[in-house]
Amino acid sequence: MSHELRTPLNAILGYTELMADGAYGEPSEKMFGILKRLEANGRHLLGLINDVLDLSKIEAGQLELELSDYSVQDIAQTVRSTLEPLAADKKLAFKLELASDLPPGHGDGRRLTQVLINLVGNAIKFTDAGEVAIKAEANKGAFHVSVRDTGPGISAADQANLFQEFQQANNAITRKKGGTGLGLAISKRIIEMHGGRIWVESQVGRGSTFAFTLPVHVEQQVEPAWQAHTGNGGRGG
Amino acid sequence: MEDEEDNRQIIRNMLAPTDYQISEVEDGQQALEAIAKQQPDLILMDIQLPIMDGYEATRRIKADASLRSIPIIAVTSYALSGEEKKARAAGCDDYVPKPFSPRQLLAKIQQCMPQ
Repeated sequence: MSHELRTPLNAILGYTELMADGAYGEPSEKMFGILKRLEANGRHLLGLINDVLDLSKIEAGQLELELSDYSVQDIAQTVRSTLEPLAADKKLAFKLELASDLPPGHGDGRRLTQVLINLVGNAIKFTDAGEVAIKAEANKGAFHVSVRDTGPGISAADQANLFQEFQQANNAITRKKGGTGLGLAISKRIIEMHGGRIWVESQVGRGSTFAFTLPVHVEQQVEPAWQAHTGNGGRGG
Repeated sequence: MEDEEDNRQIIRNMLAPTDYQISEVEDGQQALEAIAKQQPDLILMDIQLPIMDGYEATRRIKADASLRSIPIIAVTSYALSGEEKKARAAGCDDYVPKPFSPRQLLAKIQQCMPQ
């Protein structure tokens, strides 16, 4: 399924980039602008497809965590090197506040990276001035990780629905901010499969902090409760 | 090697302005024969190939002393599914997830090309 959905889009994106780069002759300035729009829309569609596939895989109980050793420091560094350019574009400071005594973790480092990229990506997207910070510490056998921003904050009413699918799309921010509206729903499930939980603390005008906690050692993936009663498509929240 | 005509054309068009010469094959079995005959400088290996997949083709190339030194760049679907680990375990020297950006793929080819 995933192969079938992505293959034609890969071709569209590939030709578009080649055209923009002049592989078929120098495009006019106007055409170049349109090709860039084509590329941006194609990438957005690809993000949507990836997220929808991830979520349906999770909800069908087909996502298997690949459990192995990981380092929170390495994950945080990967996230920083991936997203710091975006923060720099908006002149935001990007801070890492990692405890010096973080133990090595055991879980799905790749999926946890995905979660952190999602949270930090959102923080950068919604913050126009100030800073974005990743903070991590460990105690009593659990990691506590948070992503803090100096953005506009989220009202209590909006917080209630934040972790549901396409929530961002409902209030039409998606088109403006370029998200898929699925990232937080996917992140929530990934954290829950690690036996952890994720939440938000925020007030309008005072920034937001997205935090999650999970066991340092995850020996087995947790099948979350929502799977037991999701016979008709299911929704967590 | 790559079984999708569009991807082959994109790579062909991408390499057209360079001095690299390319040879295309569509499945793993053909690839092994072509590689033994032509001794290329670099192999772009699509992983989802008919007949023999790219992992198996890579293992066989890396098991052959006369071919082992040819760098192999795996081109596979989707970055997050653990494919990079599998590709490296099979012996691929580098890895590009699809959708590949022609710009990035070309940079990687230049990086891996023996001097």
